[in-house]
Amino acid sequence: MSTAVMNSPAKNVVKLGDKAAGRGVMDQVLVDLGTENEDVWTVCADMSTYLGSFRKAFPDRYIDVGIAEQTSVGIAAGLALEGAIPFVAGMAPFISMRSLEQVRSDVCYQDLPVKFVAWYGGLTTGGGSTHNAMEDIALMKQLVNMDVVSVGDPNMVGALMRASMDHPHPLYIRFGVGKGDPCLYDPETISVEIGKGILAREGSDATILAHGDLVFEALRAAEALAETGVNARVVDMYSIKPLDKELLLRCVEETGHIVVVEDHLTFGGLASSIADALMDERVMPRSFRRLGVPQIYSGFGSPQVNWAQYGYDRGGIVAAVIEMLG
Amino acid sequence: MADREQVRHLEGMAVEMRRNLLRLALSFDGPVHLGGDMSMTELLIALYHYGMNVDPADIRAAERDRFILSKGHGAVGMYIAMALRGFYEFDDILATYGQFGSAYGMHPCRTQLPALESSTGSLGHGLPIAVGLAFAARQRKQTHRVFTLIGDGESCEGSIWEAANTAGSYGLGNLVGVVDFNKQLMTNLNGNTMNLEPFADKWRAFRWNTIEVDGHDMAAICDVLDNLPPADGNRPTMIVAHTIKGKGVSFMERSIAWHANNLNQEFFDIAMAEIDAAAAKLEGAVA
Repeated sequence: MSTAVMNSPAKNVVKLGDKAAGRGVMDQVLVDLGTENEDVWTVCADMSTYLGSFRKAFPDRYIDVGIAEQTSVGIAAGLALEGAIPFVAGMAPFISMRSLEQVRSDVCYQDLPVKFVAWYGGLTTGGGSTHNAMEDIALMKQLVNMDVVSVGDPNMVGALMRASMDHPHPLYIRFGVGKGDPCLYDPETISVEIGKGILAREGSDATILAHGDLVFEALRAAEALAETGVNARVVDMYSIKPLDKELLLRCVEETGHIVVVEDHLTFGGLASSIADALMDERVMPRSFRRLGVPQIYSGFGSPQVNWAQYGYDRGGIVAAVIEMLG
Repeated sequence: MADREQVRHLEGMAVEMRRNLLRLALSFDGPVHLGGDMSMTELLIALYHYGMNVDPADIRAAERDRFILSKGHGAVGMYIAMALRGFYEFDDILATYGQFGSAYGMHPCRTQLPALESSTGSLGHGLPIAVGLAFAARQRKQTHRVFTLIGDGESCEGSIWEAANTAGSYGLGNLVGVVDFNKQLMTNLNGNTMNLEPFADKWRAFRWNTIEVDGHDMAAICDVLDNLPPADGNRPTMIVAHTIKGKGVSFMERSIAWHANNLNQEFFDIAMAEIDAAAAKLEGAVA
């Protein structure tokens, strides 16, 4: 599996507690990767604002096709067939849905190492349900040869892009708004590896498994639970496919109770992968709860308002853990 | 420039390709896309045996011209044209076509069949992939061309025009499209429902250097391939080839039934007799 230390050469490392922009990290790391490797390309469908540094540095390896996601993915497949390493950068709903068939039949069928860097995962756009990506993980993880990671810490966007360079298969890197994201980890102490989770907070009473923006909510929920005497573990399960089964089974064994929280439909995402894995291993947790988007097309409003509405913000997580511990 | 002898040789190849198409369709217990295979026969022969720089002995040569069959359901036609060029053995195709484990199936699969540039099958996908190949070649200052054969039916797909717009906007002079304009879709004649006309003008409007040709006139096709603008130019080229679906077999021509169909012995005999008669006429004209 590919690993990368968080702060390796990315220039704009920020520290724990700071806020940063995942999209800014993306653009900077693209420049770094493009400098190191002349086969790195960036393809987008009218996302030039977010790719200004790469576009300026490598105009001949930058393709903006206008608002035409399908052809952007087909072109990326063509580049990869010639040995290039294309990053397709764009909004999660359109990469995962508008160009789904190109992702499947042009990229995954041929097992091409195209990297998809997708923001606005979950209910984070404020644009309503046309722009929300609450199905993207279900769609992407279902594709043969595709691996899927979902990132909360903005530095990890870059770290996973770096790790993807040694990953010879398609990879979907999902994050949220990509602007003003809280840094969760000290970049000098955390390394990422596709296929591994991060034990973000130790605890023994229950485990909250989360990915993306909701790792931050889970950590805040664990803090609130600690004040009531509940010692909750938090795992950043950023690698959804492949899944870190070893870590999962350890959490079930050591804490018994499992809560999965994600900015995604409650069926088809991480919670479903975990439920599948536990059934396959014949492991039954003492209790199991899934928090996320129910079968509904949500309204407008900020991510936080949406998460709270459907009970998977920090308050919802606290309530679920207390309820399951009885 | 193709002289008369070369053209006659290529025409003979086209006859042999049609015969092999019929042989395969007879042997295979299932439908074969004969209509579209027959309409692009001269085009594939002209590309693989005349226009494209390809070498069956060195299938990954860096300077080779690339070819992508965007109308992937024409795979049988491509396999046979490539076999005649020396890439594959027709007997292997005949013996295994469509079977589990065979590299030769209804739609081209690059990971199973060497010498293909890309898997295709779902319509509207090949042209965008070819655009990607053309971008890579231009950035690397390679001098080869990227050819892609598309169908008129798949030109109803939005992704074709997305790619057309991209290639035109970026001026990919190393990209050459050929459209098998046989005026039919799978279940209907072009024009009964959808109307692509003015088809050539659509490509022109997308900034493509657009050339119309009779897609069954080998000399004319060779002439177009001889006179392609330089690959380092700033316009992609689209060869709009007017063709007849099912060309060469009277009961298949312009017939919806023969988009894809099973061929039994009775129909095979009739069809083969027509191809043989046309071949004899060709030879007679030569003599």
